[in-house]
Amino acid sequence: MTLVRSDATPVIESRSGVPDLETLYRTHALTVARWAAKLAGPLVDVDDLVHEIFLVVRRRLPEFRGDAQVTTWLYRITERVAQESRRKDRFRRWFSRARHLEIEGTMAPSHLTPVDEFERRQSTETVYRILDRLPGKYRSVLILFELEELSGEEIATLTGLKLATVWVHLHRARARFIAEMKRDSGRNT
Amino acid sequence: MKEPMARSKQTDADERTPIRDRWSARPSGDSDEALAGALLRSAAVVPPFPAKNLAEVAARLRSRERHLPRTWAWQVAVAVGLLLFGGALYAAVLHILRGPSVVSPSPALPVSMPASGPVRRRHVGVAPALAPANSPVPEPPPVAGGGESGGKLESVPGKALLEPPPAPLANPSALAQESRLLAGAIHKLRQERNPGQALAMLDQHRARFGAKGALEPEAKVTRIEALLRLGRHDQALGLLDAQVLTAAEVGREMLVARAELRAEKGRCGAALNDFNLLLAAETPPDLVTERALYGRATCRAQQSDWTGARSDLEHYLARFPKGRFVDQARTAVGR
Repeated sequence: MTLVRSDATPVIESRSGVPDLETLYRTHALTVARWAAKLAGPLVDVDDLVHEIFLVVRRRLPEFRGDAQVTTWLYRITERVAQESRRKDRFRRWFSRARHLEIEGTMAPSHLTPVDEFERRQSTETVYRILDRLPGKYRSVLILFELEELSGEEIATLTGLKLATVWVHLHRARARFIAEMKRDSGRNT
Repeated sequence: MKEPMARSKQTDADERTPIRDRWSARPSGDSDEALAGALLRSAAVVPPFPAKNLAEVAARLRSRERHLPRTWAWQVAVAVGLLLFGGALYAAVLHILRGPSVVSPSPALPVSMPASGPVRRRHVGVAPALAPANSPVPEPPPVAGGGESGGKLESVPGKALLEPPPAPLANPSALAQESRLLAGAIHKLRQERNPGQALAMLDQHRARFGAKGALEPEAKVTRIEALLRLGRHDQALGLLDAQVLTAAEVGREMLVARAELRAEKGRCGAALNDFNLLLAAETPPDLVTERALYGRATCRAQQSDWTGARSDLEHYLARFPKGRFVDQARTAVGR
């Protein structure tokens, strides 16, 4: 079975033999990069994330016996690495001000964050701030459905969940998203 | 009893209903779903991964850079940490549930302790351990060098680290230890104004975590700031020279600092590269732009590019009429 998206990237493909890393990278790196960017959010360096993911792929490739489809296997690795990256990012965000130089005396001080850049990214950051308050299983399904625009059936194949479970997670994720969005904007107070 | 069960079954059935419409595809509106859709649309746009980056990551993979297989020792350490934490949590929960009456007296307690009197529950140290992982206001991590500095972090307005740190992890991971060390260094630098001690803590950070630390970029910036505060410009410039900087977000501040240091050392060619990078894009009217514009004028003048220098100074006066270099700029252009 091969489901092909509009960008001609194979989403689900049949598996014949265990591919090597080079082939996996060439065939799936773009898809993995897109998943990684959407799962991890705007504050994460996608290059580093893709690198980390394929390091894990290389390490685990000998264990891959083809019980799952390659895309499912890759997605699970991507999800785990992105999750770990977000965990690190929570710390990094706390330290984000450390990335600004606060130099007095020797240099002209500069404490300002460019307003334009902030506004440009504000919406995306709001989405991920809300998404980060959702349980992981709901977060992923909502991202795959709304941002990655996969169908329920595709999500089920990719995540290994039953289709009915996908719908349950999606219904609950939507309800939580709305509740958190209201909380975030203070509309419900 | 049957009615709630029936309602529950109905809810389950509703939740299994396939969803075909995406919020992100809905037109704008005032409904919650439309607002959510508008937000999600903004996040859905992810630029395609550039072919250049794809090739770079492939090259990194081939070079086996940062290929750090997990060792059994690391896994054992995590397991031990989890066991210890689990034990502590279990003991804490038991302590709360049973209360002081069931706590067996410690043999070390003095025998002359009064048998009666008010019995106080001891909650010290228990609450943080029981706080949920995503507690909204977690405690800041203790800063190396004393508990008092940990309290000051939140009390100094307008300074770094005003926000509480992320919730404490279940086990003190390398990341948590690293963050504690770096928080201490930043506190020394920015709250206590002690760049020497900050540098010492950063040296500890480097010794323990090396270049592979998750917070290495933040540590590097803190080190540069400490070196500049100590007047060790050469070392600061050495670190900045080794950085690949862009004129985006926080990189702008590093870029302008590097340009000024390069200009200070008479390396105006290299400084101009940085100033040009900063001023090439549409720039916000902030201090970085102001410094870059004046700095470029200075460098151009040093390279005998009088036309360029004059143009920058005129531009500076128009854009920053109350800027800090206004007097010098006016004098230079003869106003």
